[in-house]
Amino acid sequence: MGRKKKKQMKPWCWYCNRDFDDEKILIQHQKAKHFKCHICHKKLYTGPGLAIHCMQVHKETIDSVPNAIPGRTDIELEIYGMEGIPDKDMQDRRRVLEQKSHESQKKQNQDDSDEEDDEDEDEAGPSSFQQPAAQPQAAYMPPMHPGPQAQGMLPAGYPGMPPMLTGVPPMIPGMPPVMPGMPPGMMPMGGMMPPGPAMPPMMPGMPPGMPPHVARPGMPPMAPAAPVTAPGIASRPAVPPTQSTASKPLFPSAVQAQQTVSGPSSTTSDSPKVTFPAYTQPFSTSPVAASSSTVAKPPATVTSKPATLTTLSATSKLMHPDEDISLEERRAQLPRYQRLIPRPGQTAAVAASAPPSGAVGGMIPAQRVIPPQQPGIRHPIHGQYGGPPQGMPGYMAGGMPPYGQSAPMVPSYQAGPPGPPIGIRPPVMSPGSRY
Amino acid sequence: MSLFGTNTGFGSGGTGVFGSTTTDSHNPMKDVEVTSPPDDSISCLAFSPPTMPGNFLIGGSWANDVRCWEVQDNGQTVPKAQQMHTGPVLDVCWSDDGSKVFTASCDKTAKMWDLNSNQTIQIAQHEGPIRTIHWIKAPNYSCVMTGSWDKTLKFWDTRSPNPMMSLQMPERCYCADVVYPMAVVATAERGLIVYQLENQPSEFRRIESPLKHQHRCVAIFKDKQSKPTGFALGSIEGRVAIHYINPPNPAKDNFTFKCHRSNGTNTATPQDIYAVNAISFHPVHGTLATVGSDGRFSFWDKDARTKLKTSEQLDQPITACCFNNNGNIFAYASSYDWSKGHEYYNPQKKNYIFLRNAAEELKPRNKK
Repeated sequence: MGRKKKKQMKPWCWYCNRDFDDEKILIQHQKAKHFKCHICHKKLYTGPGLAIHCMQVHKETIDSVPNAIPGRTDIELEIYGMEGIPDKDMQDRRRVLEQKSHESQKKQNQDDSDEEDDEDEDEAGPSSFQQPAAQPQAAYMPPMHPGPQAQGMLPAGYPGMPPMLTGVPPMIPGMPPVMPGMPPGMMPMGGMMPPGPAMPPMMPGMPPGMPPHVARPGMPPMAPAAPVTAPGIASRPAVPPTQSTASKPLFPSAVQAQQTVSGPSSTTSDSPKVTFPAYTQPFSTSPVAASSSTVAKPPATVTSKPATLTTLSATSKLMHPDEDISLEERRAQLPRYQRLIPRPGQTAAVAASAPPSGAVGGMIPAQRVIPPQQPGIRHPIHGQYGGPPQGMPGYMAGGMPPYGQSAPMVPSYQAGPPGPPIGIRPPVMSPGSRY
Repeated sequence: MSLFGTNTGFGSGGTGVFGSTTTDSHNPMKDVEVTSPPDDSISCLAFSPPTMPGNFLIGGSWANDVRCWEVQDNGQTVPKAQQMHTGPVLDVCWSDDGSKVFTASCDKTAKMWDLNSNQTIQIAQHEGPIRTIHWIKAPNYSCVMTGSWDKTLKFWDTRSPNPMMSLQMPERCYCADVVYPMAVVATAERGLIVYQLENQPSEFRRIESPLKHQHRCVAIFKDKQSKPTGFALGSIEGRVAIHYINPPNPAKDNFTFKCHRSNGTNTATPQDIYAVNAISFHPVHGTLATVGSDGRFSFWDKDARTKLKTSEQLDQPITACCFNNNGNIFAYASSYDWSKGHEYYNPQKKNYIFLRNAAEELKPRNKK
């Protein structure tokens, strides 16, 4: 099967930037998510088709495509699957994918494959294997040179493989044994891949040999390399185990979050039914399409070092602050929780608060904030400890304590500034130490 | 203990004071309100084990305190005692005999509270806030396990200031659960590690996360023979993964489901996705409850893969939940969880703990 031109890379939806393994699935997705009438739920085939339907049948105008990301909501653009996508967007996408794959791969084979890739005009090009899209296939075709494409790959191709493998491996992990041949992530099942003919023969051979590479990438999203990996692929089954040591091969690869690739793509390779069901489990309200979209969405979030979440999409919004730290960590950074304020019955003692981030810059390091709380100066002996704040006496009234801190102090807590300079009092207030 | 209030006493929320006629959204489910709730967000709840008679509820909060209430059969809650830390309390647990309560706090210490004497002593020290605390009772040893943001998991014999064992984790501990002989810890950066506790705790397996977002809560479930066999993991993205440790068919047995999201099928408006704050399994039925930032709780049957019930929406997120030892009472806490940042924090807003009769609603669905 070979459709040589795969519209470069795996099919992706122009309206929402999601990746799919198969154009058929992409089209189903578009019909269900973007071309569905919100009034009568009829599924149309294109954006303009939907607009016309709404006008004629419901006498309603719609001006943007539902569930589309901002910038891609043009209702007049006739896009069907991968057809009709404006060139500029195609190139942008290619570039983005390339960038992503470059970041996640850093293997030298990348360089190698780059050269080869260039030879292939069909593909968008430049990117190396990593591109989940057809690239892989095309890409490695050249390398395959040694020996006939498909068949030759295994034996002869091997030498050339290594470079590819590196790129490929990523995919493999995802590809469950089922796929073996399918390599390019595309899901050969669909017969999309041009290499198709070559591949099939390879498939059987593919599985073997993979493992080594696979482990490296740690689950690269797409399988494009699949064919290539054939020699290396060897143990598909083995791969998952090495990789994730998880009991189930599928999940780990599916989840890869590391890779940009849309989760679904890699997982689907192995067994479309398996992975999708996983995400679309019955628990009511889980439309299939939605699941894949959610899977695809996050990739960026997990890997980003700066740790920010980016789960914005046209259809959903994550009710969580942007930084990828837990809510408790975020909250604990606040001065009010750091201060070890003596809540009722407790003396301040100990500065130990130092919350993880140590945000409280202004606060005097570890200082104690005298049990501030009450304006009444508790300090003098507040209860058990005999007046820890020795210095305190009377300062309360506003005397701004030497430290500037007092000012910032606290918003609710401290009524009075810490009072005596730290020097006076050791941070730990009570000699007895609570702990 | 007898069934918790079979509609005899408290019909409307609050045997206590509030007529609650005006604002209904703080308790739309009309559940029993626990008296004297903490003054700041409740971070954790734990009911006493079956080894002691009666139901005692412990709740830790961001007000640095840990409170204990007795829950009587007629639904009345009686505050019994309180202890303080010097930083917000993040987790609490009971010893197996019900005589001690362990509390973990942002002040980097964990304490053991002897309820009989109402005294506390410090039993653990970390270099960062302690996020989880669990009691482990093995045939040949007993200890307290603490998970901290300092990326270590330490095990403490309560009599010694030094840990019996300290295990390094790849990242900060975000949540954990223990059901002997298994322990699961979920960390930052979507880390997931399973430990086996026989003989001595050791790392068993690191698992690739089945979820694509930050881990938030985890709870172990048991099989029909009461042996721990897997866990439910919740993330900030309104999703829970059910994961078996050694399933016969991983692809089929493990799955995830979405929860705590707004407007289910209506795609016209963007869907709001809320974090799953806590997961608890019913001790008898094996069904589970999830509570989320959206202010709802839901009950699920993981074997039938169906939802059993979703509550009405409370006006605040639900931050913690737990079942009592026989599964008759479901406790959940309504307070702010910081999911919308500090701007939405209102210190004046009251925090609540509600108790609900859980005997009927958590019965599993008959499959097929």
